This record gives sequence, C-alpha cells and structure tokens, in this order.
Amino acid sequence: MLKQENSLIYLNNAATSWPKPPGVIQAVQESLELPFGGGRGTGKTQRDYLTEGRETVAQFFGEESPDTIVFSSNATDALNTLIHGFTASSPEKFHVITTTLEHNSVLRPLHHLEKKGRIELDHISFSNAKVNPEAIIEAVTDKTRLVVMNHGSNVLGSVQDIRAVGEYLHDKDIFFIVDGSQTAGHIPLDLSAIEFDAFVFTGHKALFGMPGIGGFCIRNPDPVLPVRMGGTGTDSGSLDQPGDLPERYEIGTHNYPGIASLIAGITFLQSIGMDALQRRADRQTELFIKELSSEPGITIYNPDPELPIIAFNIPGLDNDDVGYILARKDNIVVRTGLHCAPLLHKEIDDGAGCVRISPSWFTTDEECRIAADAIKEIAHHAYSQI
Amino acid sequence: MRILRSNRHKYCADGSFMKEFILDTEVTPEFLDFIKHYGSLEMLPGLGEGFYKFEKSDCFSIKGFLNESSFEVRFKKEVMDFTSDFLYSMLYCYRDGKPDFNTLNRRNEALMERVRTRLHGNKS
Repeated sequence: MLKQENSLIYLNNAATSWPKPPGVIQAVQESLELPFGGGRGTGKTQRDYLTEGRETVAQFFGEESPDTIVFSSNATDALNTLIHGFTASSPEKFHVITTTLEHNSVLRPLHHLEKKGRIELDHISFSNAKVNPEAIIEAVTDKTRLVVMNHGSNVLGSVQDIRAVGEYLHDKDIFFIVDGSQTAGHIPLDLSAIEFDAFVFTGHKALFGMPGIGGFCIRNPDPVLPVRMGGTGTDSGSLDQPGDLPERYEIGTHNYPGIASLIAGITFLQSIGMDALQRRADRQTELFIKELSSEPGITIYNPDPELPIIAFNIPGLDNDDVGYILARKDNIVVRTGLHCAPLLHKEIDDGAGCVRISPSWFTTDEECRIAADAIKEIAHHAYSQI
Repeated sequence: MRILRSNRHKYCADGSFMKEFILDTEVTPEFLDFIKHYGSLEMLPGLGEGFYKFEKSDCFSIKGFLNESSFEVRFKKEVMDFTSDFLYSMLYCYRDGKPDFNTLNRRNEALMERVRTRLHGNKS
C-alpha cells in the first residue's frame, strides 16, 4: 500500500480515514467498470448496490429494516436534510435543544434557523467531555420539538448517553436526531435497542468508505418534509416528490462507487470484528495518553477518551505551528484548529483550538510511538524556550 | 528570491487567509536576518533544521523551516490587498543573498501607513 512507500504517519482519521482497505479500492473500481443499471437489471453484468448497501448498513447497525436507510453525500448533508426538513413541517416557532459538543454540521443549520426566527435554541454544556442526559431532560419545555446531539465527540472522543436521552424523549412529541459520525465503525452499535428518530452516519471515517457517501436511518419520516426535489427514477409522471422512503430524500443519480465503498468498508470491519478493532484503538489511545502525559509541556484535554481521539496543546506554541512542524519535519499528519466545533473549544481552550490525534486500524503501535516522541520533542523545545 | 507558485489556500479559524508559497531558492539564516528588520522572528532551532515564525504585526505571519524552499503565510484578511504586494517586495529585495534595505524601507513605510489607515482609520 501507499502508506509503506512514503512513510507518512497519518493520524487524522477522525476527519477522513486513510489508507482505505484494499477491498474498498477494488470495490470502487469494480463499480465503475460495471454498466449503470438505470432502474432495470441487466443480468449478470450488474449489481444492485442500493439494496445491498441498505441491507449492509442496516445489518451492521442492528437496525431491523433496510428500508429505513437513506443515503446522502455525507453526515452534514444528512443533518441538513433532517433539520431543515423537520423545520419545514412545523409552521410555528419551536424550541430546539442541542449541545456545545456539536460539530458545525449541526450548529450552523440550527444557528441559521435561530437567526431566521424559526426556532429557539438552547446549547447544553458538558462536563468531563460528557453531556449529562439530565441536563437535556431539564431543558425540555412544552415548546421543545427537536433534540439534536452527537453520539461521539470529534474532539474529546467521548461517547454520549443517547440511550438515556432517547428513553426520556420516546413518549414525548420531540424528534430526536443523533449524529453518529464519530461512533459508526468505532464501537458496536445496536440501534434496535436505542430510541431515536434519526441516526446519522458518514462513510468516509471509521466505516472506511470513500468521501461523498453517508446517510441516515429514519424511523418516522412523517415529520421531516423533503426539502430538495428532483428525479428519483420512480413515479416519473408525477410532478410531486414521492413521499415514500427512500425517494422522499434521495434525489438525482446515486453515488454508486460511494455505496460500493461503504459496503466494502463495512465488510472489512466485520472481517476484523468490532472487539478486535476496539482493543487496538484502546491500546493505541492509552499509549498516546501515557506518553504525552509524561511530558510536562503538554496539556491533554481528554485524558480518558472512549474513541481513538486525543486532544492536546503545547503551551507557548500555536496549535497550527505544532501541526506544521509535525507535517514538515516528521511527515506526521494531525488536525489542528477548531475541528468545526467552536463552542466546544470555547469551553476547553478559550476558542484557541488544539491539536487532535486520531489513529485507525491501519496505524501501527510503532507509528504511535514515533508520533508521540515527535510531539514530546516539540514540547520539550517549546518548554525550554519559556 | 522569487515566488514560483502558491498552493493550499484556506481561511483559518482566526479569520486569516493562509497560502503556501513555493520559492525559487531555500530560506537561509541570512534571509531571516534581513526580514526580522520588518517584524518579529521566533525560532525553535533545536527542531530539525530549525522552525521559524516571522510576524509582521497587522499584516501577515510566515512560518517554515530553514533550508526549505517553501513557507506558509497567513494574511490578515482586511489588508491582504496591500500586504501580499509587500510580501513579494520583501522577497524581491533579497536577491542573490544581497538585501536591499533602502527600497524595502520605503515600501514598508508606505505599506504601514495604508494599513494603519485601513485598520485604525488614521495615519498616526
């Protein structure tokens, strides 16, 4: 693989995973070699990627019906479809609860709706990287119609108790959207055991698919109107958007290579097993935490993450400088800045941003040690300058 | 010194605009000695070939490694139309290892007056 050839150490998997499993690359190539179906089978020369994709995703997430799976371009696209679609079905202004852990894929659509006067918005804060479900429950008013929160933080690597929130909201008239971008592929998911209305995922992170494919699982689409209309290849005589799933939300030509990559990525995860994946992720996360904690010039913001994400700063050095030095001197790719989570950073580092490390299954323990040593060396030099 | 091309443009979290520049020659300690007359220079010399960061207040910052023929520049967005020209001048005024302080000093004075006017609304 390319990785061995250029000795790059890639620790930005919470953004987009790399490298991809060989089976994913092969699946994308095969999908492009096959003739486009156009709504009718062509015998043995064609694969039904859509059906296969929905079945694979549903089975992997423990969701009973593949018909609830809708494909989108990515998690941001899915969240916009859900948030704006839900708002479109509500003529009156309503109250929305979200958290300060969220990514801009949630914060920006909600902020836009708040500015337009369509919603009242409350951001629930966190403590020790966790949002207390009780705090969300206490924020519910008789005007609350929507709760949007992530399952896993993309900066602090914490997993939120969506089960508790879902159980409380279950018998209320409140739509519950969960952003699973950071947990899908990292931890075993059994959606059948969780009460929610929509669960969002993206393909290009821990599911090892290619960029440009994501989606959501939606159990009750009635409160979410379609906000984009167009060709579906079905009921083409009608000028109205079809109301059934998935055509209600899936418009235009599908991203077949993307769906093929998602199927292959999930198949790869299943071949390894989630237990083995988690064991390696935990071991490497602990290695980083232990190594970086031993250097006095490093501030770690999440000493006990549940996902393979470590967030830190080196006091006296801009986080972007640390990323630059690692990239140019050591050929190590990390992510710096706000990670599209501005409210979270206001709480942990006064909005300055930090450095984020995120290994994947393809990261070796040796690469983790090399990266930790490189970070410690930078911190040591910065510390000696103070 | 000349810029051959620029890569990787993006807006940063602090509102600045970042560009990576590919140069026709390597950045030397002598070049850094030259540009530090026009701003502040920080170095972490123990790191490899030496990480440096040059800051021209209200205008732009440069970061890079000594002996590399590229660096990264963050422009303050509000005055980028003036300051990007000055960056080119700063490199142009360092030719074949010979600094041209006279030319760059004149351009620096003119630049800072325009920057002050734009950012602070007066010339003082």
